Order: sequence, then structure tokens, then C-alpha cells
Amino acid sequence: MMRALTIAWKDFRHVYRDLAGLAMMFVAPLLMAAALGAAFGSGDNFSVTAVKTVVVDQDAGAGAGTPAAGATLTAALTDPGMTDLLAVTRLESSETARAAVDEGDAAVAVIIPPGLSAAVMGSASPGTGSAAAEVEIYKDPALNVGPSIVAAVVESATQSLNGARAAATAAARLAMSSSVTEPAVLDEVASEAAGVFARAARAEAPVILQERNPLIEGVDTEKRPNVASQVLVGMMLFFMLFGAATPARSILDEHRNGTLPRLFTTPTRRSVILGGKYISVFLVVLIQAVVLLVAGRFLLGADWGEPGPVAVLTLVSALVAASLGLVTVSFAKTPGQAGAVSSAVFVFLGLISGNFAGTASIGGAFAVVRRFSPVGWLMEGWSNVLFGGSWGNIALQSGAALAFTLVCFGIATFLFRRRYA
Amino acid sequence: MEGIVVQGLRKQFDPPRGPVAADDLSFDIREGEIFSLLGPNGAGKTTTISMLSCLLRPDVGDARVGGFSVTREPGKVKELIGVVPQDVALYEDLTGRENLLFWGRMYGLKGPRLTQRVDEVLELIGLVDRQKDRLGKYSGGMKRRVNIGAALLHNPRFLYLDEPTVGIDPQSRRSILDGVKDFKAAGVTVLYTTHYMEEAQELSDRIGILDKGKMIALGTKDELVHLVGEHTRIEVTLDREAQSLAAQWRDLPRVLDVSEPEDGRLWLLAEDANTLMPRLFEGARAAGARITEINLAEPNLETVFLHLTGRALRD
Repeated sequence: MMRALTIAWKDFRHVYRDLAGLAMMFVAPLLMAAALGAAFGSGDNFSVTAVKTVVVDQDAGAGAGTPAAGATLTAALTDPGMTDLLAVTRLESSETARAAVDEGDAAVAVIIPPGLSAAVMGSASPGTGSAAAEVEIYKDPALNVGPSIVAAVVESATQSLNGARAAATAAARLAMSSSVTEPAVLDEVASEAAGVFARAARAEAPVILQERNPLIEGVDTEKRPNVASQVLVGMMLFFMLFGAATPARSILDEHRNGTLPRLFTTPTRRSVILGGKYISVFLVVLIQAVVLLVAGRFLLGADWGEPGPVAVLTLVSALVAASLGLVTVSFAKTPGQAGAVSSAVFVFLGLISGNFAGTASIGGAFAVVRRFSPVGWLMEGWSNVLFGGSWGNIALQSGAALAFTLVCFGIATFLFRRRYA
Repeated sequence: MEGIVVQGLRKQFDPPRGPVAADDLSFDIREGEIFSLLGPNGAGKTTTISMLSCLLRPDVGDARVGGFSVTREPGKVKELIGVVPQDVALYEDLTGRENLLFWGRMYGLKGPRLTQRVDEVLELIGLVDRQKDRLGKYSGGMKRRVNIGAALLHNPRFLYLDEPTVGIDPQSRRSILDGVKDFKAAGVTVLYTTHYMEEAQELSDRIGILDKGKMIALGTKDELVHLVGEHTRIEVTLDREAQSLAAQWRDLPRVLDVSEPEDGRLWLLAEDANTLMPRLFEGARAAGARITEINLAEPNLETVFLHLTGRALRD
């Protein structure tokens, strides 16, 4: 055992004397997490900068006492609940609004035409016809998210107007069936019905949409980890793979440099030599994980969750990274080949495991695919503890990841022993 | 005590068509002697030493080192041997002392015994002053000395040195050769491989000449030279026409062999140098060339190799 530890300590020191390697292991994941955390905000969750929106309301209303449809749309956009998403400025002319988008001063312009109310109310009065009005959303073609939000809000308000129109139409037809034929009276009935619908729509909704945190059954928590911590988990696991590949590659380096054959001429058994290598790989990534978790806690304000499950996941993560580092190296014949093979495999695993998507809830086929990767299981486990999960929420994930680990260790050991037998 | 007994060792790489690096090798090395394996590159020297180090498993045959089988008792054999590989096999990012401490532990040393042996070896290889420098800062000769020192830490009974003087300066080479003699004086049995005939001649009690995996001759230097017979080696330097003259001289009576000329120099193996020499001068004059230097020498191991294989050692 002492000889294995001697080999492990020698490799361990070799890794920690390589400044470029250290930067890759510690600085890169922290920088990426910090950068993405800063980009998406360091608050409770992903936040988006408010979309600069200009509104031109040219609608004068359909008549006295009738609610103006343009005002309804404008009110929806300037609702106090939307201020996190939309920064709305009112402008007087459509030309000015389009110019603001063209010059990059605004992301979206919403241009409400003069006849919007007339179009809504005209079609609501039986026997009267009116051309459809066009609400123009003029947007920066390079942007997607901001204009989509504005379009969604406008669409929602338009649906509300359509609802009011339907209510007005129904009321007018009901009045006609009661032998009311005076157009002015019918207009008044329709207008009153539309107003009632609009007020009801603004009142507290009978159906409440409640968002819940994803994935964790039986966890009654509102915990929302910050963005940096969600990103750091993915980056940590991804860079741990590279952290493991470096000492694992030392087997091939030593073979090329002649120190491995020389070790085989000493009375130290080959299993002890390989064991020492495995220990060093595990220690290197375990320390990498611990340092990143501590740095994430103090530098990025990450709240990792319950210490026990976090400790277990850290150990399992180190075992997974060590086994993957060793198994990818075991297929290669030269250190250069190992570097190429490892990088390709790790990037592929990172992609299918969701390392680059943070711990955001992943569904559909992707949620199935990621379970073919031990890193995917780890991502799931880490996501659970980040969102407040406990032992029960990491047991399956840890077990599955460990099963993969055993297989990888087995393959690596078989290949190394066959090569150096 | 038993030295090394090799019985019918055979090793073929990438069978069935790959090269046979060791072909039915049988020889013995006596306790306390310096035994050299001499041969050109690719003769099978390193393969042989690898099998005796338990690094390579022979396809056929076995060897006993100090009474232990390399195939059945490799652990026991490894405790008795110290192996100095052909290329420096050490850790560049460790200091000289750290390297020795590491290798000492791999040989099972620990505690005060390890520290004592490292100090003694550092003294022996003359690197006490540089022991705290990283190996990467050492010269090639200094690395070679640590390379040897790492194999001495556990006081091995058998020391294998695989071409330890390749690519080093004359001073370091001399130091290594003197060191090998000291090991013998200390009772260590030395197996030394080289393709330098002079080293084998200077160091060895006995020499085995290897060619293409076969042991083609074995004995003391005198015994080997005797294989060539009572011949004389004539070394000639010409100012021109060496190639054509070499071809002519091969046909002369009493000339047994002529080497390929190199930079105007060649040598002949002849039965009667006194009769032959005037004819060499005549031939050179007729060809418009001039002999600028001529030496007579007793046959050496290179002559023996040429005699046995028809090729020079460096071919």
C-alpha cells in the first residue's frame, strides 16, 4: 500500500506543478460559471434584461363610453407586473418608432393603428362590417427573445379584445332576440357587454397558474439556486473529466519515457503500480471538486444543499471522472492519441449530459439520452440537491453513476493489464 | 552461489512473421564476473536483458537468476537485480534526491535505511551538491549517473546495464566504465550490453557476441580473438581511389577480408602482412593513389565479428 501511495503522491505532485493544467482544472470552470452568472444575473434564477419597447397608440376609440382597444393593448404592455421584462416608452408617430428600432434605440416597436377600436366594435355590432385592423410589431431582426415576449403580450391582449368582442356580439344578438332593433341601443348593449368582459378579465382570475420547481418529487421547497451555481456544476463535472485525464495519461507518458518499464523491473507488483496511478487520478479530481465547490460557495454565493448528499455526490463525481479518464486513456497507445480521444469523448459526454445547459430542467428525448452517460446521472443528482433534494433524491442517480464507474474501471484495468502483462 | 543460467530463451515479436529477437539463447554468467553482450543494434541485447529482468516473458525457455526462475519467480528475481535502462528513465520534475528516494521505495526500502542508502548513492555518483536540483536541470552525464544510482539503492547482487554509455561525453563514459569495475570489485555480478567493442574488451571477464538473436560466439576476449586465427589486421588510409582499391585487394592472395572504405580508411585481414604490404603500395601507386597512413594490429573483437558474420559491428 505504501508503494501505491508513493506512486500516487509522485503523480499528484506532477499534476500540481503544472500551472497550465491547474488553470484548466480550477480557473476555467470558475471563470465560465462567473461569466454566465454575470450574464444571466446573480439573483434567484435566470433573469433577462428588460426589452426596450416603444408603443405608438393611434387608436382614438370607437365612440363615447366605449373602451379604446389601443389603450387596452398599451395597458397590457405597461402593466407594473411586466416592468422586469419590458421597458416601454410611448411615442407619437409610427415613423419615429420604426426609426428607434432601426437605430438600435429600441428592440421592438408596437404600432397600434387608428381604427383598432372601430374594427373591434364594428365587427361586434350585428349587421355592421369593418375591415380587420393590423397591429404592427416592428422588431430588430437580430433579436429573438425580446420581440417574442412583446408579441406574446400583444397576442394575449388581443385575445382579451377578441373575448370582449365576442361578449359584445353575444349581448347584441340576445337583445335582438328580445325584439330590440334600435341600432343605438344595440351599440350600447354591445359596448356595455364588452366593458363588463374587460373588467372581469382585469379582476382576479379564477384559474391561477402556479409555477413549481422541477424534478423533485416530495420536496416541498421553494429553493432556487443561483445561476452561477447551476452553471458551475456542469462546468465542474466537465473539467473534472479533463482533470482526470491528465494523471491517467501519465501511464502512457511513463511508458514512453521508460519509467513504467523500469518500475516493472522493481519488486513492486504491477497491480500496485496501476493502483497507485488510480489513486492519484482519484485524488486529483477529488481535490479539484472540493476546491471548486468551496470556491463556488465563497466566490459565487452558491448554496449547494445538504452537506451529506453533497459529500456523497462529490465522491461519486470524483470516481466517475477518474474512471472515465482512465478508460479513455486505456484505449490509446500514445499520450497524443489519448489527448485526442479523451477530448472528443468528454465533449460528447458533456453535450449529451447537459453540462453546458446548467442544471436547468431537461425533458423529452434529451432526458432519456443523458441517462446513457454517467455524467448525465450526476447532473441529475446535482440538480436535485441544488433544488433542495436530499438522500432519496440522489440515491438512484449515485447508484447508476457508480455502476457506470465500475464498468469503466473494469475495462481500463483489463486493457492496461493486457497491454503491460 | 549460483549466478545466471540461461536455457534456450526464445522471443519473437508479432509472431508468426515478426522478427526473432532471441533465438534459442543458452549461456551462463558466473557470480562476480562482468559479462558483456556485444552486438550491433537489433542483435537482441535489450530483448535478452528484458527477459532476464522479468520485463518480457520468453516464448520458450527459462533463465535462473541467483537460483530463481524469471518465469516462475519474478518477484524473487526482481529483489536481486538492479536494472539500468538504455535511456534515462527518471522523473524530470523531481530533484535528484527525490528520484532516488522514489526508486528506493519501489525497491522496498524505507525509513532510516532508505535515507542512508540515498546518501551513500549520492556520494557514489558524485551528486551530493546537486541533489536538490530538479533533474531537468542536470547535464546528460549527470542524469546517466542518477540513472545508474537508482539501480544500486537496494544493493543488488546482479546489475544489468543496457548500453549505459550511448550518447554521453568521454569524461562521463570513463566515469561509468570505472564505476562498473568498482561494482565488480564490490562483488556485484554485472551483465553489460554494448555495441562498443572497446568497452567490452576493457571491462569483460567474458563476452557473448550476439547477432540476429543468436549467440554466435562466447568466451574471454583472448578465446574469441583466437577464433580468427593467426591473422593480422592492416589498417590503411588512402588519399583517393579507396573504393576501387578495396575491390582489387579483396582478390589478392592471403587476404581474408577487406572492410568497406569509409572516408578513405579501410582495413584488411591478412595471413601474412609482411608479404602483402609491398603489394598494397604497388597497387595504390598504379591506381594513382597514395597510402597516407598504415598500421598493423592484432585482431580485435570487431575483427572477430566480421570474421563470424561478414559484417562490421556498426553495420
